Amino acid sequence: MKLLVVEDEPSLLNSITRYFRQEQFLCEGVGNYADALQRIEDTPYDCIILDINLPGGSGLQLLQYLREDKKKDGVIIISARNSLDDKITGLDYGADDYLTKPFHLPELSARVKALLRRKYSDGNTGIELGELRIDLAARTATNKGQPVGLSKIEYDLLIFLVTNKNRVVSRQAIAEHLYDGPSDQAPGPEFVYSHIKNLKRKLKEKGCPELIQTVYGLGYKFVV
Amino acid sequence: MSQPLLQRNTRSLLTWLPLVMLAGSVFFYLTLIGHIRHMKHQQLQLKQNNFWNAYALDTVHVPARLAGEYDIRPGAAREDAEADSANLAYMAQTHQLDGRSYIVTTYISAKEYRHLLIKAGTAEAIIFIVLLVAIIIVNRSTSRKLWTPFYTTMSAIRGYDIRQNKPLTMDTITGVEEFDQLNKTLLALIDNVDQAYRNQKQFTENASHELQTPLAIIRSKVELLIENPNLTEDNAQLLQEITEANERLSQMNKNLLLLTRIENSQFPDVVQVPLSQLVERQTRFFKEYYENEVATTTMTIQPDVHLTANAALIEIMVNNLLRNAYIHNIPGGWVNVHLTDKTLTIKNAGPRLEGDPERLFDRFRKGRVDNRTTGLGLALVRQIAQLYKYEVHYTCQEGVHRLQIAFQ
Repeated sequence: MKLLVVEDEPSLLNSITRYFRQEQFLCEGVGNYADALQRIEDTPYDCIILDINLPGGSGLQLLQYLREDKKKDGVIIISARNSLDDKITGLDYGADDYLTKPFHLPELSARVKALLRRKYSDGNTGIELGELRIDLAARTATNKGQPVGLSKIEYDLLIFLVTNKNRVVSRQAIAEHLYDGPSDQAPGPEFVYSHIKNLKRKLKEKGCPELIQTVYGLGYKFVV
Repeated sequence: MSQPLLQRNTRSLLTWLPLVMLAGSVFFYLTLIGHIRHMKHQQLQLKQNNFWNAYALDTVHVPARLAGEYDIRPGAAREDAEADSANLAYMAQTHQLDGRSYIVTTYISAKEYRHLLIKAGTAEAIIFIVLLVAIIIVNRSTSRKLWTPFYTTMSAIRGYDIRQNKPLTMDTITGVEEFDQLNKTLLALIDNVDQAYRNQKQFTENASHELQTPLAIIRSKVELLIENPNLTEDNAQLLQEITEANERLSQMNKNLLLLTRIENSQFPDVVQVPLSQLVERQTRFFKEYYENEVATTTMTIQPDVHLTANAALIEIMVNNLLRNAYIHNIPGGWVNVHLTDKTLTIKNAGPRLEGDPERLFDRFRKGRVDNRTTGLGLALVRQIAQLYKYEVHYTCQEGVHRLQIAFQ
């Protein structure tokens, strides 16, 4: 999978590209409008992560150029501007998703993967991990064909961990992901633990092996 | 003690004008008496001369006395006399004729003069009183008219609120130069203050905005670091503490940014917010999210309640109220959410509030030391309520905290 990250803050750009490269993505990073335009013209990308405020132009202009040129690259806008207007404008211009800065890297990663899944799923809406099967359309999980009765929060938690499998996901990133209100108003991470505990218990009851590891006090890891 | 301008003006007129008028009256009375005395003297003197001349020409035929007019008797008075007696005024003078002395006394009626004095005095008193009333009325009405621009300025200033971002408008041409100057000075002053206030808000907003990037960088670096397979438990503990501090800082910064953006009126898009759905959805989330801490959540929600407001702000307000109720709860406690088309009431069990309930909504005011909160949640609620003129009531009785938002 080819990714392009367009972000003017070098340190942040470096973090994002590094994070995705650890997952065997082909990830390129550029820091300004002209370079981004060049790359977009040269190569098709599976997904472009696009900042709006760029030296030399606006991310929205790039998006406009892409869509006018009938390019099918998936686009996720990342912007520090948190107004609803920006979000709507971005989606109107043909962005596939919108993420407000500052974000958690696992969240960005989950968004990218969800986008790619939508793009390349070919109607297949399930995830299989050994005997654990998750039906994304019906929002249910089964183990060895036995349904695991999950609450909404537990289901969202499972999907988030599975999407970021083999990576450590911090409690803060989980809390923010679980909350479906304004992202900057998510409740604190202190109760993530109890939901993890419940999820683990329910999976275990259905005969699922220990898939969720606790990484010291930092976060959790879904190991496959 | 301060009094209204008009009252003060009238009072000083009422104090000084009668005094001036009284002095005027006394002067008038004395002058009048003087004139009357002079007139009587002239008239008596004229009679004196006329009758004496007539008598001196013909002492035989001209009678020596005429009652009420004159009286000529031989003899000499020690000196000339002039006086009032009963209704008559008289003048006695000694005249010489052929070596003999005669005392000539002439009379005139004094009653008319006395009447004149009374009538003139009365007329004068009436005129003075009418004048006094008229002066006060005219003075009051002109003062009122004259000070109108002043009162207009006063009410304009009183209605001015620097937080509302509405410019102050005042006439700089009022017809009175002093008031023109006053208004110009005030406009300049308020303009300066407004500018300073806006700079300050802008500064806060810019500062919060600029802080976001380094905070985001720290967060991303920590997220890369926690995946390091060589991480020791000791280092993980340090990273955990860094993460917590950084997340708190991030959250505080976001809330500060939000507060200043509300103050700067940057949420202009107003829609019909489906409050019933919003409250129900949020309550369900919090109920599930905190199910292990807060045992019971009950809600009664009137369907189809809408608010005309900014959707994001209302969501933030509801979120902060709910979160507050869940976080400041007791183990095994409860939360009750009640929505009608007039009020949203959230009740919860909780420890007793320490300190002044009035200050609960202040920025960085916290009920207890708790690193789960930023101390800005209820300040946000208040700021949003103020924006839409909702009323916020808080009461705490016997372990039950009750927060109510009244929409109107």
